[in-house]
Amino acid sequence: MNENVFTINNLDLYYGKFQALKNVNLDLKKNKVTALIGPSGCGKSTFLRSLNRMNDLIDDCCIDGDILYNQNNIYQKGYDVITLRTKVGMVFQKPNPFPMSIYDNVVYGPRCQGIKNKKQLDEIVEVSLKRAALWEEAKDRLKDSALDLSGGQQQRLCIARAIAMEPEVILMDEPTSALDPIATLKIEELINELKENYAIVIVTHSMQQAARISDETAFFLMGEIIEYGPTDTIFSNPKEKQTEDYITGRFG
Amino acid sequence: MSMSNKRKRIDLLLQTITYSAAAIAVLILSMIVFFIFRNGAGLLNLDLITSDYHAQFYNGSIGEVNNFSNTDKPDFLTEEDHYSSKWGIALSDEIDKQGGLMIEVTYIADDSPLKEMVDKNNPDNETFSLKQGQVLSTIKFYDKNSALTIYGAEYMINELNEVDTFREIVFSTQGGGIRGSLITTLYVIGMTLVVALPVGIFTAIYLNEFAKKNRVTNALRSMVEMLTGVPSIIFGLMGLAVFVPLTVNYTSANSGNLISGSLTLAVILLPVIIRATEESLKVVPDELRSASLALGANRTQTTFKVVLPSALPSILTGTLLSIGRIIGESAALIFAIGTAVKDDISIFGKSTTLSVQIWSLMTDEPANIELASTIALIILITVLILNLLVKMISSRYMKKFV
Repeated sequence: MNENVFTINNLDLYYGKFQALKNVNLDLKKNKVTALIGPSGCGKSTFLRSLNRMNDLIDDCCIDGDILYNQNNIYQKGYDVITLRTKVGMVFQKPNPFPMSIYDNVVYGPRCQGIKNKKQLDEIVEVSLKRAALWEEAKDRLKDSALDLSGGQQQRLCIARAIAMEPEVILMDEPTSALDPIATLKIEELINELKENYAIVIVTHSMQQAARISDETAFFLMGEIIEYGPTDTIFSNPKEKQTEDYITGRFG
Repeated sequence: MSMSNKRKRIDLLLQTITYSAAAIAVLILSMIVFFIFRNGAGLLNLDLITSDYHAQFYNGSIGEVNNFSNTDKPDFLTEEDHYSSKWGIALSDEIDKQGGLMIEVTYIADDSPLKEMVDKNNPDNETFSLKQGQVLSTIKFYDKNSALTIYGAEYMINELNEVDTFREIVFSTQGGGIRGSLITTLYVIGMTLVVALPVGIFTAIYLNEFAKKNRVTNALRSMVEMLTGVPSIIFGLMGLAVFVPLTVNYTSANSGNLISGSLTLAVILLPVIIRATEESLKVVPDELRSASLALGANRTQTTFKVVLPSALPSILTGTLLSIGRIIGESAALIFAIGTAVKDDISIFGKSTTLSVQIWSLMTDEPANIELASTIALIILITVLILNLLVKMISSRYMKKFV
């Protein structure tokens, strides 16, 4: 059985004339947390966004190479992007709940897929919020506006919203960069629990965070993957000089 | 040292210019408001808003009277009210809405013979009554000269007291009310919004959410922007050339009418609404769109389930402001709807809005500044209320994205 959810072969990505990703090769494994680290502008967010084709929204973005999701190339003609995005969820840098109730936020995705049954939706809300460790705090105020939650709660709601789609992969783009240390800790604990069920790819600027929560780490520099391997190895015994310089804080 | 003195002088000069400019602006604005208030406040009452513009005239006569009223003058009547206990009627000299003299019926007793008069124009009809608030213009007697308005109320009462019957009495409702124009204005607001809002909002959604960012879109957008600057009288000409013939051909209308006026206004408002909506949509953070798309929603779902609801408060604000524009528009409507002030309103018929009524009042000979100012006052108050509403909505719902 193949335990890779994503296989990326020779991926090049251009914004107009600017090449943001150069010959990226990477395997993302099931039930693992993969951290993408690197200095700002190195292409790690771009890479993340190409996994659920969110880069399609950028007009002059074009892609060369293969991204195989469960052995299927997601950039082939006629590939169903909607289904891809229901299977590959995403959590953004800034908590971005919709300006509606907590309940409506969680069921937004399922509703868009045409699920109308009230009982089924109720169940989705409970399960998702429990998995996102928000149920205890939110169960009595499901009809309240999601914007009344604190920043950390909002981010967990965004994770619950992604979980409600029952994805296989959750992409996280610096999910704790806008949060305080306590909220960050909660999200990190949550990520640890979530990897039981999902493959998680997380972009982070915090070396400690990558070391704490990830199983695999990829180090990006100038659009290229410099080094990729188990997190322990990368942090304790990096092969490349640039990786060592970066993680010891000598540049970046 | 001298440098710093020079600096101080320049600062003082700049400050003086700033303060005096602000003072002049405030002064001018308050003068306008004061002018309108001084001229218009006198006529402002509920009666004006609910009564007809055109006076309704009646010619009544009375046969042999058996039971005169002979009621004593009630206590609440003043010196100004000239009372005839024989006929049970009080008259007083008043100024009408056009500024001329009129004799108003200020009281009529329950047992007054004038409560049962024969309609001279339709003698077969039921008898009708003179009512309080109506205007007495002439009383024609059998064997002496008629009593006319110019002789005054006291003369009319004295003449009446001398006779036992009379040939004819001419009286009318007061008229000068703005009910017709008010209703027209409401109709026009409603019909204009019904046409302009959906077209405008969906166009804005297309431009901002669906259209590819290319030259065609940009050209469309700059055309919309250009149209906001076109003087409305040009749209009025277009209304006269296009919408009036169109409505005359396909409806029972035979001249400028409420539909042609509303369609013209809708065209004027379209660019305004498109721009306001586009601005509202632009304010919606892209993160919400990304979040929705990342959850597997398609573009249409994202637009109508997330973006549009989020933009709704500020779209509403834009709409309220555009209602102000409809109320205030006059130049275009002079062509597209006409200037005839009417009391019976049909959307296929002539009639006119409050602003245009101001225009027609001021072009009358002599100009009726008082009534025009009163209408101006009503418009000012309406616009003020709209603006307060806008402020309320924005302060309540706009915090969302902060």
